[in-house]
Amino acid sequence: MNHLTDEQFEDLIAGRTAEHDCMHVTACAECRARLAEARAIAARLKQAFAGIQTPAALAEKIRLQSRAAEAAVSRRSARRVVAHCRSYAAAAAAIAALIIIVPAVIWLTTPASAVAALADIHNHNISESGAFVGETNPARLAAYFREHLGFNPRLPEPDHGLALRGCCVRYFQGDVAGSYVVATPSGIMSVVVVRQTPQRMELTDYVMPNGLACWRGSFADKNIVSVRIGEYSYCAVGAVSHDYLANLLARLID
Amino acid sequence: MTRPAAVRTGANSFEKIASQHLDAVYRAAYALSGRADTAEDLTQATFLKALQNFGSFQMNTNAKAWLLRILRNTWIDQLRRAKTAGPRVPLDESILNSQPANGTVWSDAQDLLENFSDEVVINALTRLADEQRLTLFLVDVEGLSCEDVAEITCVAVGTVKSRTSRARAALKTCLADHARQIGWAGERI
Repeated sequence: MNHLTDEQFEDLIAGRTAEHDCMHVTACAECRARLAEARAIAARLKQAFAGIQTPAALAEKIRLQSRAAEAAVSRRSARRVVAHCRSYAAAAAAIAALIIIVPAVIWLTTPASAVAALADIHNHNISESGAFVGETNPARLAAYFREHLGFNPRLPEPDHGLALRGCCVRYFQGDVAGSYVVATPSGIMSVVVVRQTPQRMELTDYVMPNGLACWRGSFADKNIVSVRIGEYSYCAVGAVSHDYLANLLARLID
Repeated sequence: MTRPAAVRTGANSFEKIASQHLDAVYRAAYALSGRADTAEDLTQATFLKALQNFGSFQMNTNAKAWLLRILRNTWIDQLRRAKTAGPRVPLDESILNSQPANGTVWSDAQDLLENFSDEVVINALTRLADEQRLTLFLVDVEGLSCEDVAEITCVAVGTVKSRTSRARAALKTCLADHARQIGWAGERI
């Protein structure tokens, strides 16, 4: 005869299996005794612990601990909400600051960038590289500008003693700008034609010897003089004096 | 979805849930440690951990089983920290040597059990191996289902059953040996 397994015993003790459904227990005195003994031990053990109660002081300590911790969690949650609000406010302030500061920075850095960009165009022209077009014929230069720039900038007259060397169309502060190169007795100069006003490029007021108002600036060894003709600023750039550049521009106006 | 402890209120508050099962946790701590002072520390540590993890507790699940699992893990952590193999709490000889109330010589298990004091029975339980001790306590004293005990002790349901059976037999042997040593029982029961 096979006696009950441990698992079968546990199922009987726990009531998961009814005793009358277990034929073996009915027939086996040994298993019946074992079952009774196990039940007695379980009952005695339960009885032994019935008198074990949580000390009142410990219960109170845990109760207070729970309340304090829950209150702390509540405070932390509230602080998190405030912190979130603060972080949102900080983010909004940062965005507002960017809206204000970035244009201001652009505005403030533009002058230096403008004169540097003009000097850069001149350097590019005298190196005759990239987009530089080596064209000396004023008519063909005009046609080139019309096609690529959309208008004909004012060019020096042939009898002014200035020899055209070529032209270039490049970007200048987000706008298309045309430039041409003239050879003078004092060296190669560029005339850059841009939409930006001299004031926008932070060039300084300057009165030419002939009384014409113009603007000037410098970047590295390059000087810049600008005059406003119509909707465009003509900027003469070269490693010569401001007066020399001013005279060059005066010839254009004449 | 779990909610932060602070959001739960009323019947779902930690204090409410904890208070319902405080005695069960304390008794289990007592069964594991065999000492009132250690049981108090263990209970407090258990509730502290439970409170910290209350956000992850799923409402409408077995809070008692959840707390007892934390208790077991806390106990195991303490044992590891103490670098001990298990709580071999020495029996209180003064308790074990105490005479039965009516001086009877016991010849069967049921009579023997009934005439040992609660302290002797509990101290005998503490001499069992850790997992046997906890399993027997949870099944016989707390009346938890084998499924719940399996979840608490991280074993299969079948293991819980066999472990309970072996633990009960070990407890009987322990008490019987002691009874024989002190001359209460003349034969092995």
